[in-house]
Amino acid sequence: MNAPDRELRKFGAANAAPHGVGARLPLIDGVEKVTGTARYTADLPAQGALVGKILRSPYAHAELLEVDVSEALKLPGVRGIVTGNDCDTPYGVIPIAQNEFPLARGRIRYIGEPVAAVAAIDEATTDAALALIRLKVRELPAYFDAADARKADAVLLHDNNKGNIEREVHNEFGDAAAGFAAADLIREDTFECAEIHHAMMEPNAALAAWDNERGHLTLWSVTQVPYYVHESLARCMKTDAAYIRVIKPFVGGGFGHRVETLNFEIIAGLLARAARGTVRLLQTREEAFLTHRGRPQTHVRMKLGLTRDGRMTACEAHVVQRGGAYGGYGLVTILYAGALLNGLYDLPAVKYDGYRVYTNTPPCGAMRGHGTVNIRFAFESLLDMMAAELGLDAFGVRRRNLLKAPTETINGLKVMSYGLPECLDWVEQASGWRERVARLEADSDGPIRRGIGIACSHFVSGSAKPVHFTGQPHATIALRVDFDAGITILTGASDIGQGSSTIITQVVAEILGVEYRRLRLIATDSALTPKDNGSYSSRVTFMVGNAAADAARNLKAVLVAAAAKRLQVAEADVEWLGEAAAVANDPARQIPFHDIVEEALVDVGMLTVKGTFTCPPEFQGGKQRGGAVGSTMGFSYAAQAVEVSVDTELGKVTVEKVWSAIDCGFAINPMSVEGQVQGAIWMGMGQAISEETVYENGRHKAVSLLDYRVPTIIESPDIAVHIVESLDPNGPFGAKEASEGPLAGVMSAIAAAIEDATGTRIRATPFTPDRVFDALNRKPPAGAHVAAAAKGAA
Amino acid sequence: MAALSEFRVLRPASAVDAVRLRGEHPASRFIAGGTDLVPNLRRGLVSTDIVIDLGNVGEMREVQRSGDTLRLGAGVTLATLAADPTVRASLPALAQAALCVAGPTHRTAATLGGNLCLETRCQYFNQSESWRQGNNYCMKLAGDTCRVAPKSSRCYAAFSGDVAPALLALGAEVELLGPQGIRRLPLAELYVDDGMRWLALGADELLFAVTVPLVAGRVSGYEKLRMRGAIDFPLAGVAAALTRDGEAIGELRIACTGVSSRPEFVGGLDALAGQPLDAAAFATIERQIKRTIQPMETTTVSVPYRRRATPVLAKRLVGRLWDEAKRR
Amino acid sequence: MKTLLTLSVNGRPREDAVAGNALLIDYLRDTLGLTGTKQGCDGGECGACTVLVDGEPRLACCTLAHSVAERSIETIEGLSHEGNLSRLQRAFHEHLGSQCGFCTPGMVMAAEALLRRNPQPSRDEIREALAGNLCRCTGYVKIIESVEAAACGSEVPA
Repeated sequence: MNAPDRELRKFGAANAAPHGVGARLPLIDGVEKVTGTARYTADLPAQGALVGKILRSPYAHAELLEVDVSEALKLPGVRGIVTGNDCDTPYGVIPIAQNEFPLARGRIRYIGEPVAAVAAIDEATTDAALALIRLKVRELPAYFDAADARKADAVLLHDNNKGNIEREVHNEFGDAAAGFAAADLIREDTFECAEIHHAMMEPNAALAAWDNERGHLTLWSVTQVPYYVHESLARCMKTDAAYIRVIKPFVGGGFGHRVETLNFEIIAGLLARAARGTVRLLQTREEAFLTHRGRPQTHVRMKLGLTRDGRMTACEAHVVQRGGAYGGYGLVTILYAGALLNGLYDLPAVKYDGYRVYTNTPPCGAMRGHGTVNIRFAFESLLDMMAAELGLDAFGVRRRNLLKAPTETINGLKVMSYGLPECLDWVEQASGWRERVARLEADSDGPIRRGIGIACSHFVSGSAKPVHFTGQPHATIALRVDFDAGITILTGASDIGQGSSTIITQVVAEILGVEYRRLRLIATDSALTPKDNGSYSSRVTFMVGNAAADAARNLKAVLVAAAAKRLQVAEADVEWLGEAAAVANDPARQIPFHDIVEEALVDVGMLTVKGTFTCPPEFQGGKQRGGAVGSTMGFSYAAQAVEVSVDTELGKVTVEKVWSAIDCGFAINPMSVEGQVQGAIWMGMGQAISEETVYENGRHKAVSLLDYRVPTIIESPDIAVHIVESLDPNGPFGAKEASEGPLAGVMSAIAAAIEDATGTRIRATPFTPDRVFDALNRKPPAGAHVAAAAKGAA
Repeated sequence: MAALSEFRVLRPASAVDAVRLRGEHPASRFIAGGTDLVPNLRRGLVSTDIVIDLGNVGEMREVQRSGDTLRLGAGVTLATLAADPTVRASLPALAQAALCVAGPTHRTAATLGGNLCLETRCQYFNQSESWRQGNNYCMKLAGDTCRVAPKSSRCYAAFSGDVAPALLALGAEVELLGPQGIRRLPLAELYVDDGMRWLALGADELLFAVTVPLVAGRVSGYEKLRMRGAIDFPLAGVAAALTRDGEAIGELRIACTGVSSRPEFVGGLDALAGQPLDAAAFATIERQIKRTIQPMETTTVSVPYRRRATPVLAKRLVGRLWDEAKRR
Repeated sequence: MKTLLTLSVNGRPREDAVAGNALLIDYLRDTLGLTGTKQGCDGGECGACTVLVDGEPRLACCTLAHSVAERSIETIEGLSHEGNLSRLQRAFHEHLGSQCGFCTPGMVMAAEALLRRNPQPSRDEIREALAGNLCRCTGYVKIIESVEAAACGSEVPA
C-alpha cells in the first residue's frame, strides 16, 4: 500500500509505538471484534425478554380498514400487541417531510410495511399470534414504476403530492444555453441504474426495556443515528425525551440503511410499553430488504457540451428517482443528485431537473455516496464517450477541467482543498495507462477480452447545514478526568465499523500526548455521552474530529494551568511532555501526570472538559435558490482505474484489478483510509456487476443473500490505494472524508473498461451476464447515435 | 422467519436401521449435511416430525475402488469427493462439479447423496412463509398454480444440483436401499421431470451409494454458469465426458443441470462417434442441447440468456476436453 | 422435546438438555451464551456462523445441535490462548481484516481451518477457503492480507 511516509511523534515512553494522528493503528475496539466478545444488539443478554415480531403487509397498496387482533390477544402467552392505533404521530428524518407511521394507519403503501407487532413469551407463541391477526383492506391500484405513478389518473399515495411527485427540483446555475452554444460537441444520452440495497452484514435488531414503575424506556438498536432515534421515540411515544435512553452497542455496518429512524425501532419501544417489559425484536434478513432505504432506481437523461479540446461548457440533467412509498431522505437524495454535479470539475453551467416519485415499493433512502453515485455514473460515462469522439484521452479531458482551490462553484459550494490532479497522476502511472494497449492485447485470450477504464468522483465531509436546525454545535465531545487520572472520551458519534472511535482517540492522543492506554472511549449512550447527529454523509472525521481536537486542547489548557500551579511557574513556562510536565529549560523540575491531575481536581473535583465544532455560516451554502444543498466544508476527491476481463461469449465481466487514489486531506489513520477506500470501491463494484433489487408487482423477490448478489471473495479484485494529502485548511489536521467519495466513480470506470475490451458501451447497471450478453449481441440500430444531437439541434 | 417446527432427531448407526426408521415414521426426513434441508426447514418449506440423521452411518461414507468401478457412499461429503485422488484423476467432471457447489463451508457438510437429491428450486418457492402466503403460494407447496407457468398442470421448479450432470455424463448408477434390500438403477432413472416429484425414490428408500465406471482414456469436465464465483446455485451447468480416437470423436456424453426439473442427459450425440469435432459437430451439440433444455423463470436471471448461454458453455467445455484428450 | 446432548465446546466437555429441533447456532448462542457466532442471513447464505466441528468449518445455522453429538466444537471464543490472541485474531486486528466485525468470527474460523490444513496458502487458496463467507465492509482485500500475515507469522509492518 501507498500510505504516506512521515515522521510520527512518539509519546510517553521513548520506545512506544506512535498512536497519534498519522499512525496505522488497529481499531480501538478491534480486539472485541476478533475475539467474539463484541456484543451486537442481538448478542445482548436478554434473559426473560419477550419475543417481538412484526406482521407485514402482503398488499402493495390498500386502504387499511381494520386490523383485528382480538383472537391473537386471547392466545395465552401474548403480552402485547400494537397496531397503527398505537401511534398517530408520523415520523421521518426530514422534519418537513414526515409522512411515515411506524405501523400503517389507514393506508398500506408497500408489501412489507408493518401493520402490527406482537410480543409474547416465546417465538412459537409470537408466530401463532401473528397468524391470528386479520386485516380488512380495500385494495388500490399500485405503481411499481415511476412512470406509472406519474400518470395523470394515478391514485395518489400521499395527499398533496400531485402526480405522486414527492419533490421536484428545477435549478440552473450559470447560463446553460450559452454554454451549449459555445460547445463544439453536444451529446445527450440516457442511463439507467437499478435499485440497490445496503446488505450490511448484521440483520436489524432492537432490544427495548420498559420500566413500568418509572415510565422509562431504554432502547438498544443497530442505529447509525441514536439521537434521531431518541427524538423519534419521544415524539411517536408522546413521552418526554428525558424518560428515554438510547444505546447503540456494536453495529455490524450500516452504509446508510440506519441513518434514519427505522420503523422497527419505534415499534420495539411501543411493544415494550404495551407489554410492560423487555422485548427483543430480531429481524430476518428478508425484513432488512423490506425496510430497505437503499439507492433508488434512477433514470438519468444527460446532455453535455464540450469544446474541441475537451473543455466542459454546460451540462443538463433530467433525473427521475423511484423513491418508494415514503419520504425518508428522499428529498435530500434528489437535491444532492443535482448539487453534486458540481464540485468535482470546473463546470460553468448546469441545468438540473429532478423528480422524486412515490411508488408502492419499500422506501429508498440514503446509501453510501448518497445522491451522487448514479448521476456520476451518467456524467463520467457521457464524458468518456464524448472524449472518444473528439479523440481525447480519458485523463486528458478530465485534466482540462480541473478546479483550482480555494474556489467556489457556480452553485456556491466552497472547495478549499483539491487533490484530484495528484490522484489522476498516480492512477495514470500505477495502472500503466500509457502502455495499456499492448498489455491488454497480450492479456486477452480468445473470447476473453481485457480492458481498462477510469473515472473520478468526490463527496462531502458532512453537510454544513444540519438536517435538524437546533442552533447547537454540529458536534460535541467531552473528556472526563477523575482521581484515577484516566481520560475518558465521551462521544455520541456512532462507530458502525468505519472506525470513528479510533479516529477520535488518535486525535485526542495527538494533542494531549499521553499514553494510548490512558485513554478510554465510551460512545453512544444517551445517558452518558453528548448528543451527536450521527454517522452519515461522512461527517464524523471532519466534524467530530474537530470537536475532539477542541476538547483535547481545552483539557490540555486546564492541565497546563494545574501543572503551572504545582510547579509554581507561569503557564507559559510549562513544558508539556504528555505523561508529565516540566519547567521549560529545567527538565529536572518535572511532575508526573497523576500529580498534574491531582492538582487540577483541587477544589473542583472531577473534570469534564468539552469541545465543539460548528460549521461557520459562510460554508452553509450560497444565498441563491438551491445553494445550500451539498454545502460542506471539505470535499474528498478520488480517481480510479479499473481493469476488467469480459467473457464475450457468456457476457461475464470480471474486475481484475483496481487502482484508486484518494484525496482525504490528511490520513489520520492511513490503514483505516485504505480500508474505507477498498470497501467503497468494492461496494461500487457490487452495484456495477451484480447487485439489484427485483420486484414483481411490488413483491421483492431477491430478499436473501443468495438472490441479492453481494460479491464473494472469489470475484473481488485486489484494490491498490494511494493516499493524497491536500491538507484541508479546516479539517482536523487537514483531514476530510475517505469512505464515500471513491464509490461513485466505480460503475463508469467499469463501463469504460468494458467498452475498451469489447467496443460496446453499457448504459444500464448492473452489468450482469444477461445484460452484457444482450448488449454484445445486439445489432446496432440504424444510425447508432440517434440519441446524440448535433450542435445546436437540442 | 418462523421458529423451526418441532421435531425429534433419530440417529441410527446403520443404513438398514435408517431405512427401518423411515418405514416406521412416515412423517420423517433423512438428513445428512443439512445444508439443503435445514434452510428449507427454516423457511417452512419442509415440515417433519422426525429427522433421521445419517451422520452415524459410517458405511455410507466409504469410497471403494473395485476394478473399473468406483463406489461412492452417498454420505461422502462434497469436500471429500473433490479431494479424492481417484476422483480427481479419473473422474474430473465429478471433482469439478463437487467443487462448484456453494462454498467450502457447505461442502465440508454437504454430501453426495444430498446433492443428488437436492430439493428443486424456484424463485417463487425458496421464500419465507409470509412471502409465499402473500403471493398465494405456488403449486409446489400449499398452492395450486405454478408461478412460472400458470397454465401448466405441473411444477417447473428447477433441479439445481451440480453433481448429478457430472455423474450422468460419466454413466453412473445408484444403489437404493429399501426394506427389501438394494436395488440398482442408472442415475438417469432416479429423476423425473417434475418440480414436485423429481425423484423416483420410494417412500422408504434411501439413496445409499453411487457407482461410477472408470473408463480408460475418457476425459471429463464440468462448467457452471453463475453470477458469483461461489455460493450461487447454477443458472445452468454442463458436464461432458469424451474419448478421442485420433482426430475423431470416440464417445461424447453431455448432461445439463439447472435447465429443467431434473438433470438432463443430452441425447442424440451418438451419431458424432467417428466424426471429427468440427463446426458440424458443434452445431449438432448446440442443437441437441437446445432440444433438451427448458429453462423457466425459476431464477431472476433471464430465460433467453440461460437458453443461449448453455450451449456456449457446452461447446467450450467440449473444445477444452478435446484438447485435453489429445495430450493424454 | 429435549434430550441430552454430549459434546465438547472449546475444549470443555458439556452435557445439556437440548431440543431436537435446536440448531447448533442457537445452542451456542442461547444455551451457552457464546454470542461470537453470528446469524447474518436466513440460513446458509453468508458464512457468519462458521464454527469448527472436529476441525472442519461448518455452518452452525444449517447444523442440528444433536447431529454434532460427541464431536468437538470450536468457536471464535475458544481461539485465544491464555489471554493471547491467536495468530489469525492478531492478524485480523492489526491488519484491519475486521471493520464492523460482524463477519469476523466466521471469517476467522474459516481461515483457521485453512491454516491448520495448509499453513502456507496462496492468495487463490485463501480466496477459495473463504468463498462462503460474505463481508460487506472490507472488499476482502485486508482480509486476504490478514490471513497471509497470520500464515507468515509476521507482525504489523512498521
